Amino acid sequence: MVSLQTDRLMKSKWFYRSCQPLLLLTAVMISLTFSMPGSTDSSTKNEIFTDITPQAGINWQHFGGESADRFLIETMGGGAAFLDFDGDGLQDIFLVNGGETPHGKSTTAIRNALYRNLGNGKFENVAAEAGVDRLPFYGMGVAVGDYDNDGFPDLFITGFPASALYHNNGNGTFTEVTERAGVKNGGKWAAGAAWFDYDGDGLLDLVVTNYVQFSFDTPKRCEVNGTRTYCEQKAYQGMPLTLYHNNGNGTFTDVSAQSGFDKLSGRALGVVAIDANDDGWTDLLIARDASPNLLLINRGKGKFEDVALEAEVAYDPGGLAKAGMGVDAADVNGDGLPDFIVTNFNDQYDSLFFGSHSVPFEDRTVNSRLAEYSKSYVGWGTHFMDYDNDGNQDLVIVNGHINQVIEMTRSDVKYKEPPLLLRNNGKGVFQNMREQAGVAFNSNYSARGLAVGDFDNDGDLDVVFTCLNATPVLLRNNVGQDHPWIGFELQGTKSNRDAIGAKITVSLANRKLVRWITGGGSYLASHDKRVIVGLGGDSGATVAIVEIRWPSGTVQRLSNLRPNQYHDVVEPAAANATGRRK
Amino acid sequence: MGDAALPRSCTIRIGVGGLSIFFANDRVIIFLVRLCTLLLFSTTLHGSGQSTTSDRNTQAEVHANNGLDLAQSGNLSAAELELRKAVELAPTNPAFLSDLGTVLGMEKKLEESTNTFQRALKLDSNNSTVRRYLAANLWQLHQYVEAKKNLEILVRQDSADKPALLLLGMVSENMKDYASAARILATVPALVREQPESIAALARSYYHLGNREKARATLEQLQTHPAGPKGVFLGAEIADGMQDYATAEKLLISIKTTFPDRSTLGYSLASVEYHARQFDDSRQTLLDLISSGYQSSKIYRLLGWCYQEQHQPAQAAQAFEQAIALEPTQESNYADLSKILIANRSLPAALAVAKRTAQAFPHSAGAFLLQGLVELKVGQFTDAVESYTHAFQLDSANPDASLGLAEAQFAAGMSKDATQTFEASTKQFPRDARFKLQYALILLKAAETGNATAEAHAEELLKSALIINHSLPEVHYHLGNLALKNGRTTEALTYLETAAKLDPRIPETHFALARVYRRLGRKEAASREMEIYQNLQKVESEAKSPNMPDGVSPN
Repeated sequence: MVSLQTDRLMKSKWFYRSCQPLLLLTAVMISLTFSMPGSTDSSTKNEIFTDITPQAGINWQHFGGESADRFLIETMGGGAAFLDFDGDGLQDIFLVNGGETPHGKSTTAIRNALYRNLGNGKFENVAAEAGVDRLPFYGMGVAVGDYDNDGFPDLFITGFPASALYHNNGNGTFTEVTERAGVKNGGKWAAGAAWFDYDGDGLLDLVVTNYVQFSFDTPKRCEVNGTRTYCEQKAYQGMPLTLYHNNGNGTFTDVSAQSGFDKLSGRALGVVAIDANDDGWTDLLIARDASPNLLLINRGKGKFEDVALEAEVAYDPGGLAKAGMGVDAADVNGDGLPDFIVTNFNDQYDSLFFGSHSVPFEDRTVNSRLAEYSKSYVGWGTHFMDYDNDGNQDLVIVNGHINQVIEMTRSDVKYKEPPLLLRNNGKGVFQNMREQAGVAFNSNYSARGLAVGDFDNDGDLDVVFTCLNATPVLLRNNVGQDHPWIGFELQGTKSNRDAIGAKITVSLANRKLVRWITGGGSYLASHDKRVIVGLGGDSGATVAIVEIRWPSGTVQRLSNLRPNQYHDVVEPAAANATGRRK
Repeated sequence: MGDAALPRSCTIRIGVGGLSIFFANDRVIIFLVRLCTLLLFSTTLHGSGQSTTSDRNTQAEVHANNGLDLAQSGNLSAAELELRKAVELAPTNPAFLSDLGTVLGMEKKLEESTNTFQRALKLDSNNSTVRRYLAANLWQLHQYVEAKKNLEILVRQDSADKPALLLLGMVSENMKDYASAARILATVPALVREQPESIAALARSYYHLGNREKARATLEQLQTHPAGPKGVFLGAEIADGMQDYATAEKLLISIKTTFPDRSTLGYSLASVEYHARQFDDSRQTLLDLISSGYQSSKIYRLLGWCYQEQHQPAQAAQAFEQAIALEPTQESNYADLSKILIANRSLPAALAVAKRTAQAFPHSAGAFLLQGLVELKVGQFTDAVESYTHAFQLDSANPDASLGLAEAQFAAGMSKDATQTFEASTKQFPRDARFKLQYALILLKAAETGNATAEAHAEELLKSALIINHSLPEVHYHLGNLALKNGRTTEALTYLETAAKLDPRIPETHFALARVYRRLGRKEAASREMEIYQNLQKVESEAKSPNMPDGVSPN
């Protein structure tokens, strides 16, 4: 096992220049290691994604506590994250387990999984050794962020009736610091969470989406044709959001009241933090389930304004508050502004909105063909990802119904549903890649959380998603290298170290590609913080200009960067900066 | 030939009782008898002047006289036979035909009686007696146009023909020509006063003309009428039917101690109180009846509705179950129980009752329509398809069956089948705007998933629905939304404002209006509409689920 010291060396900039040949050799060795029986036969060579879950050694199972009581929580989890917890340069995988319910008991202990990436396409579950295997509550999602800027990602795990913060000790272990930090979020059913710096002090703050008022003591009873089933979400009262301010000393202050978040009651689930109006402050889009979505514009000084109504992202055109679960943001139509997706229930269609400097945003659900593809599915985790590195942000969505009895009442909606891989034509119109996507996209799951990351460091984005009461699915991307790419790993200095909130603009000969480092995104999940920008056919020998707007407001310009590799970029001091936050 | 009526026949008519009728109650029979009598007294009595020279005519005369004797003695069937023989022997004798027509009328063989009178009139078109009898028959047969024609002939011949005027007034009322009815009946006040039915007709006419005071004054006459409590009861029914509940209640209370049928009176009083939204009084009246030993299915049914209006769902359900127990063959008891369970969001219970109904009435399309409706509400769409299919098979001419089937098919994801059903139904029911609207809605859904022509077809259907019925708020709403979607903001505003005016309680209309106003820069109007939308949403969700009992249907 490579020591942590060596890992740090490997990550430094000079190391890349001097050790590139060695890296190349390593890459070759890694790709050869992936040549295992079943993974290089002609059928998998032609598929975009290959399910490598068993080969990777991932055999953990989610436990939802399914019972005859049909508590709604049984059908809502679990979370997934890509993170490099041990700083070895390889993305590991964290999976959040559910829990027992009064009549839904497990014969074995319910544990989370922390799969350490061994670098050869295999993973090893080290959750117990790391100290993150057990939770004192029913687990839901995870948000990964380096809240103390020590260079090691920490974990905030949501759940019911509490949440927990695990500090990464930097030595492969974590310490649970919830009480000391003051982020227990006690008594609430927390679903999603996102790290973001709302006040620009260089420290990551935390927003938590709370779902519904819930208790195991008061099961609600619903039936279809005499069969007990889950009640719809409207049977439950929504909850307000929680906002924690990072005090910088390992503690947080609950500023929900000061910020007005405590007034925003609804059934909140997914959250993504991104600068929606390009004013340099990080905003929040929150997907809510049968409650109107929220678009919270950060006005500075800890104040937010909900403009979802004016932006027309709160409701559908008919005034329906859809069943919003997952959410993500990226520039889908190449105009340099973030666009948004929210996943919804069958017959409601997953929503796509083109962001704009003015309101309302344009609802592109139908014209993008997203309505057509998502009509019969219940969508959960979702992420924009340029899977083929052609420069256009594609879309992956995982699906699965909540009610086993749905097939008793509908002929066109199933309980287990396939994921969707949708290829973007660059203008925000998608094509369903089902036939080429791989076996996983033609199989049916009760999928929930979805995380995206480059676990094999080959410059294309891979996917992991969780399934209710089943093993997760790890998908390796086989096609990203068809086009050149450039990768960035940002390190904030004045800004938060993770650089959440940073905006990267890559200028090519004929186009500009804009990417953000977002907080949150998807459903109950957290992603690889590195940014891969697919260059399409326009590789050139080097990438001409890259502009990075750091969360601090500092603007940095880089040039002559070589493609097909990751670049570590450290935020410069103020003297080197060329811009400020508005 | 002038008016021709045999003295003997007049005598018979007076003695026996004149024409029979199809009305359900004796009062009208008595009325017609007396009318007949009046008609006779107003006729110049003279002999027919017809003597036959042939044996046939002589024989016919004998049979006719026998017939009249038999009719007088009450043996109508024998009288009919004799008079038929008379007519057979002397088919061109209008008097014999008239006599036969009279006896047939007394036997309630109105259609044949009418044909016979018409034959007599053809032979003697100036015979006003026969024409009167014919008009009276036609009135009883609800052939008002023909009745009116004949009465107008009579009145033209003699503008002072009071009985004809009376009947003409009543026919006018039946034909909803209330102005004529009131005018004509006002010319024969004495005759009107004599019969509760004619008083009722005049009162109804005044009500329809908006003249409540005159209507009430007319009904007041019943309180001193020789017809007694039954006449007053009729007046109360009229007032209740015309939503003058105070007058109805007053009339009923005035005969509380004298009306012979306490149960009927009590039920009617409770109905009037219910119609006047005095649910507490109505409930008490019914409970008093029940505690006095008067129990009937319709009493319990009305009691159930009282409890429902007073937000006592458990008691309401119990009352309906009692109604069912007392009269298990009355389908409407089950249907009403289902309706209140649906209204109270007790959907599994409503479904159970709907299934019971369908089992109890397996040949009733209505029962399967109800079952389908509840299955749709609880989200059991495939079951709803089956139920509506069954209803359709039982009654394919019922538009509700076709409409429900198409809606259920669409909800169950059977889009192609739904389209086929809608296509067939819009052809079968071209003037039923609901089909065009619902079909348009599924086309709009199809448009959302890539069907380019569907939206245009939907818009076409919506516009044609408006041609049939311009007052459908939902149609205006969807046209407005389409216009908004396609950037036609001004057009959208017109449609949506119309929709809001037609039905301000639809939340989505206000949401869409808010969007339009925002686009037009009218922020205050937009905020106001959003507030209305949110309030309506709140009211809707509170009405749906106070405590979320059983039956929250999952998605």
